[in-house]
Amino acid sequence: MPVLLIIVPLLALLVLNLPWMRLMNRLALWVGLILCLIQFFLVLHSPSFFWEAPPLWLGRLFLFAPSLDYLSLVMFLAIAIVGASALLVCRYSIHDLLEPVKPGACSHKRFLVINLLILALTGMNGVVLANDLFSLYVFLEITAVASYILIVAEKGRDAFEGAFKYLVMSAVATALILAAIALLMLTAGDLSYANIKLAMSASSDSHIVLAAVAMLVVGLFIKGGLIPFHGWLPDAYSAAPAAVSVLLAGIVTKTTGVYTLIRIVLSVIGFSDTLENLLLLIGAASMLVGALAALGQSDFKRMLAYSSISQVGYMVLGLGAGTILGLAGSIFHLFNHAIFKSLLFVNAAAVEQQTGTRDMNRMGGIAEKMPVTGCTSIIAFLSTAGIPPLAGFWSKLIIIVALWQSGHIAYAVLAILASLLTLAYFLSMQRRVFFGKLAAGFENLKEANVWILIPACVLAAITIGVGIGIPWLFETFLLPIRSLL
Amino acid sequence: MSINFIFEPIALPLAAGIIALLFRREQGKACAWFCTAVTAAHLAIATYLFGKEASLTLPWGAFGFEFSLKLYHFSGFIMLAAAGFGFLISLYSTAFMNDRRFLNQYYAYFLLTLGMVNGAVLADNLIVMLFFWESLLLTLFGMIIIGQPQAFKTAVKAFIISGVADLCMMVGIGMTIYMAGTMTMSQIHLPLDTWSSVAFVFLMIGAIAKAGAMPFHSWIPDAAVDAPLPFMALVPAALEKLLGIYFLARISLDLFVLNPRSWLSPLLMVIGCITILLAVMMALIQRDYKRLLSFHAISQVGYMILGIGTAVPVGIVGGLFHMINHAMYKSCLFLSGGAVEKQAGTTDLAKLGGLRAQMPVTFICFVVAAASISGVPPFNGFISKELIYDGALERHWLYYAAALLGSFLTAASFLKLGHAAYLGKPAANHSKVQEAPAAMLIPMIIIAVLCLVFGLWNALPLNNLIQPILGEARLEGHTFAGWHFSVTLVLLTVLVLIGAFLNHIWGAKRAGNGLGAADHIHYAPVLHPLYDKAERRLFDPYEIGLKIVRVIARIAWGVDRGIDYLYDTVAVKVTYAFTSGIRKAHTGSLLAYLSWSLAGLIVIIALIMGGI
Repeated sequence: MPVLLIIVPLLALLVLNLPWMRLMNRLALWVGLILCLIQFFLVLHSPSFFWEAPPLWLGRLFLFAPSLDYLSLVMFLAIAIVGASALLVCRYSIHDLLEPVKPGACSHKRFLVINLLILALTGMNGVVLANDLFSLYVFLEITAVASYILIVAEKGRDAFEGAFKYLVMSAVATALILAAIALLMLTAGDLSYANIKLAMSASSDSHIVLAAVAMLVVGLFIKGGLIPFHGWLPDAYSAAPAAVSVLLAGIVTKTTGVYTLIRIVLSVIGFSDTLENLLLLIGAASMLVGALAALGQSDFKRMLAYSSISQVGYMVLGLGAGTILGLAGSIFHLFNHAIFKSLLFVNAAAVEQQTGTRDMNRMGGIAEKMPVTGCTSIIAFLSTAGIPPLAGFWSKLIIIVALWQSGHIAYAVLAILASLLTLAYFLSMQRRVFFGKLAAGFENLKEANVWILIPACVLAAITIGVGIGIPWLFETFLLPIRSLL
Repeated sequence: MSINFIFEPIALPLAAGIIALLFRREQGKACAWFCTAVTAAHLAIATYLFGKEASLTLPWGAFGFEFSLKLYHFSGFIMLAAAGFGFLISLYSTAFMNDRRFLNQYYAYFLLTLGMVNGAVLADNLIVMLFFWESLLLTLFGMIIIGQPQAFKTAVKAFIISGVADLCMMVGIGMTIYMAGTMTMSQIHLPLDTWSSVAFVFLMIGAIAKAGAMPFHSWIPDAAVDAPLPFMALVPAALEKLLGIYFLARISLDLFVLNPRSWLSPLLMVIGCITILLAVMMALIQRDYKRLLSFHAISQVGYMILGIGTAVPVGIVGGLFHMINHAMYKSCLFLSGGAVEKQAGTTDLAKLGGLRAQMPVTFICFVVAAASISGVPPFNGFISKELIYDGALERHWLYYAAALLGSFLTAASFLKLGHAAYLGKPAANHSKVQEAPAAMLIPMIIIAVLCLVFGLWNALPLNNLIQPILGEARLEGHTFAGWHFSVTLVLLTVLVLIGAFLNHIWGAKRAGNGLGAADHIHYAPVLHPLYDKAERRLFDPYEIGLKIVRVIARIAWGVDRGIDYLYDTVAVKVTYAFTSGIRKAHTGSLLAYLSWSLAGLIVIIALIMGGI
């Protein structure tokens, strides 16, 4: 019955857009939050009837048979958490009700954004559930289209530029994926993961299959924003409205890029030396270039965007180790990254909203005025940099150990060095924004309101909790990954 | 006797020392009498314990480590001597120290030092001994530092020199325990082979450094100026000599068996001779009462080491006898210096003179002690030096010659000191100087009388105190008591003394006063530049060590800077070079990004299609 995770949000969207505008406007946020919470608790209560029952009558409308495994559950959890955070940030940062309502034009911007957020969540749920390449493609597109529009919700020049770059690069990715699907269809005659895998093992050295694999992988690299396919990412992340940045950085690119890559590698392509080397190379390049580029940024969100590239590099590096431990580290890091990077973007939203700028050189000493934001930001960046006992430390440690064990010692050393770089640029950020003397002009600065402090605190608590609770989570969170290979 | 009675010599002074700390600043007088009472009681107990034998072993901690004490003749003797000096100097301090600051600390360190010395002497376990031995560093540091505000540097110097020597001793103790397989001192009897000789050298360094031999001496002259004077009379002059020579005798007689054939015996004798000569040469040119005495405190250790180093019974007996004699006359000399300091207000010899008339008792005590240290018959110093000469001559005449030369210079420097301080014209502003108070005179008189007694009736200390340390077997029935010295040697000694006297008369006439009596030696052609350098401390091992340490520190600093440069500058510059390169590449042009992607695509397709 997991198909309900797609159907219910879609129905909710339909209901919300029935013509009772004024009422729906108020309800939209709560509907979105409740959907996320239900998803969250359903995952926590797995395995249960919900996950195992066959699709009901409505579910049968879908032609694909959803697949469900441990990896999907982790993704659902991350999607729910980040989605809820994005919705709350949306409530905080978008004030559409205060704007004058032009007759005939939909000026309910927040309502629009919430609708699109729910649509994007639906799309991502679909990506996670997809069991054949065509469904995957469809849901990828749903997510992407929702994202394009979300980025331009504020209608600035930067937003259009960012959205346009994302659109063009995504279109290239889509074209490559579509071409790959066509080629694989040609070989296998079917698009379900299992059948393609069979067909590929039958004709593993066929040039058509290899070209299809290459195009598919490159398409997903573009979606995930890996070096050198990352050109769209900093612009899109930094130009998007705060809530959208949280969603994009926290989960969208990770689902459409990294999760899909993991899923395709596991279920369709399978590990091979060439693929592992390619993943290691791209992962290490992303990790280092992303971190080095982040070091040179003065725009808060742009720095976080490059940091995102760097962290995705870690995940791909873990996958490239080709072992169960590397895979576990990769998935764990994906989850942790969803939490702490969302938290950082939440903080960035709070800072941007309160100070009116994203230029870190103009800030300083803000922690004095915004203590909660400052504290949660410290937790988030320490977790990102891999400082024990926070969550990010464990996932990085697992990745590094996996690399070491699989004999890729040079990559393990690089991962440690990149960790130092991570610490360097985050310390620089923390010093410029939160610590030191209060910058001129911020004397009347106030702490952000409760709508954004709730997600900040919850995300920080999850980061700490996962880090400290690792001995318990190891059994429930990490060991089940063994079932994936 | 209750077995726990053996604890008393350690526990009583330590407990009293801690109590002394409780006295308030304005209760200095009470504290002084408290300390004197405790030392008197302690002297009574030490007298009672002397000659008794007892031992005590308590399990303490892991690794088979035991807290064991052993009271026997030698340790009883050292304890008795220490208790005697403790009492007399405490009595002296009641008068001398009464207007000083930090009195409660002074008496606390005083008592603690006494307790630690007793502990070190009684200990029968090397680790326990080391514990007490090292604890003395604390009180040493404390006693110097309370002397005056600028004493800090000297205190640190004393602490570091003693600490380094104790570190060597620690190594030696470790080696000894490893080789002997036990920590109990009374069970260790190691033959002197190669490795045990090395252990012996390490232990010897600890022992002779404690006694103040060269090259571990250089803090003593500085302390003489900075530290309170009774400290000098108590610690470097008496207790440290007793303790250092006690341990040297223990390792030469018990723990190892030092025999004349071992290379260690000449080593000890050479150290002894060098210490005698260099220190006395320095003493000769001093112009400060206390500083002059302090160099003699170093020089005289040389005789003891020479005596024990001869490894023949007569030399060892002489060395040990010299230890107790030296403790006596050197304390007495320091005490007389203290009386002069107290009454005349200075110890600068240039500002003193003619004190004989004003301080007759002090003068007489000084004369007795000076005669003893110079080896004038029939005082105790003469007896012990003759014994050492006998021993030295048995080994080689060179050692004897060095010792005799040392005697000549000792006599010369004391003639100079006595002449400058007590004879000659009274200094202008000293007309009102009076004799020292009774509390200061009594200890001096007692010690001076003992100096004479130990000389005239030398059988008393030799038969009762010194010779039992060696034991009947080693003495082979000999006894060194009495007056049966070789006439030639005695004549030589007397000739040397007369020579020193004539030399003094000549020098004093040449310079016009007593202070300049040694100037012809000071400003002799070869010696003058050497003296100059020595006075500027160019030969001070501590200063040389500090220079070496500074060079090492500078190198280490450079390495540290280098590493810092690597991290703080090179790493950062390289990182930012990459960063700025990456920033330049990100122009924001969609075309560029697309072309990167296409290039990546082509490479990856080529890789996968070529690779799989």
